[in-house]
Amino acid sequence: MKLELSLAEEFGAHLADGTRAAEFRLRRIEPYVDLTREIVLDFTGVRNSNSSFMNALVAGMVEQHGEGVLDHLVFKGCNPPVRVLVEAAIDLGLRKIEGRIDA
Amino acid sequence: MVFSLPASINADGLLPFLSLIGTPVGVGEIVLDFSALRRVSPAALVALVATANRWRTGGRQVHFRGLESCVITGYLQRMDVLSACGVELPEAFQRHKAQGRFVPVRKVDCGVDVMGHAMAACLAPGGDEYGNPLTAVYDLAWYVITETANNARQHSGGTGYAAAQVARSEGLVRLALADNGRGILRSFQEAGLPWSRGTNDIGAIRKAIQPFISSKGGPTNEGVGLTLVNELARLARAWLLIISGSGALRLKPDGTTSTESLPANGFFQGTLLTMVFRQDRVRDFAAMLQEAKNATGLLRRRERPGRFEA
Repeated sequence: MKLELSLAEEFGAHLADGTRAAEFRLRRIEPYVDLTREIVLDFTGVRNSNSSFMNALVAGMVEQHGEGVLDHLVFKGCNPPVRVLVEAAIDLGLRKIEGRIDA
Repeated sequence: MVFSLPASINADGLLPFLSLIGTPVGVGEIVLDFSALRRVSPAALVALVATANRWRTGGRQVHFRGLESCVITGYLQRMDVLSACGVELPEAFQRHKAQGRFVPVRKVDCGVDVMGHAMAACLAPGGDEYGNPLTAVYDLAWYVITETANNARQHSGGTGYAAAQVARSEGLVRLALADNGRGILRSFQEAGLPWSRGTNDIGAIRKAIQPFISSKGGPTNEGVGLTLVNELARLARAWLLIISGSGALRLKPDGTTSTESLPANGFFQGTLLTMVFRQDRVRDFAAMLQEAKNATGLLRRRERPGRFEA
């Protein structure tokens, strides 16, 4: 089974609110992580995002499920700044697993 | 209590102005006298609106005096300063499009994403289209506005206000956001962060620009917003000023950072961030963001960066 979620359909072209991202992750992604072969987060149509949103969406998922979740996650249609934010959010999730962040 | 606003409130005049309006107001009505005012920056405007509305929501009567003799009353009206403070005054001019010139004072509400777009698109017309000469300016403005506005909404406990201006002849963009909340130091202290008990406002601002320092914590706050705003400002060779409580942190275009206390034992209740950058120094936002993440240690080189598809 494959789960494909369009961020632009859910949030529009501008992704800034980390609270909404965290709610979306818990409600729309987390329940399916162990049930699906692949989860596609489709950023097509997303014009911009900030770290608050991306960390709440992606870092939390990596922290929760470990590095292995990256085998099941596909980030589609990212423009260059969005891709940087996704990569940094993955890195943040991995750091949290490694226990480097204690702020 | 009467506050007579000085003739000029920009650049070097901002900190003394914040000390002035931060003076304890005692009891009774508060009067703001605008008759001498001639020049004012967006930073001073949002600080004024945030403070006036703090007084008003605290039950104080705030009167605006001297607007009939103030030479920039029309500008204050165009910037929606008066209406943001609940002052109604007939407008003796026709409003023109603000696009590419200024963003009137607006309250930071729950639609930070849309507000960020509206402000950035106003400052950089056409920049929301890929390949436009102002694309990177739009992207930088959107990022700074949304991360700072998120801080005002989620951490301050008060109300935030934003405004901006473009000086077209110099190609300068001036962004400013201020809130009338608890300030950075108290935000850390109320979160129970142990180190915050032994620091002051300047120490708290310095701490806030370090990565992974947040008064809220995950899953929605990772403490990187202000860190990246500071680093992006450095890369854009911008002026950045962060003021909270009695402290101020200043980043200059040459990359040097300095701190100072507000003059005359002044105290700004809330947090103010203002950034001024030249449009021609911002060309590739993705590259800037990557460099900012690398420089702050927020992005390491890894073998598995994730699976990306076009």
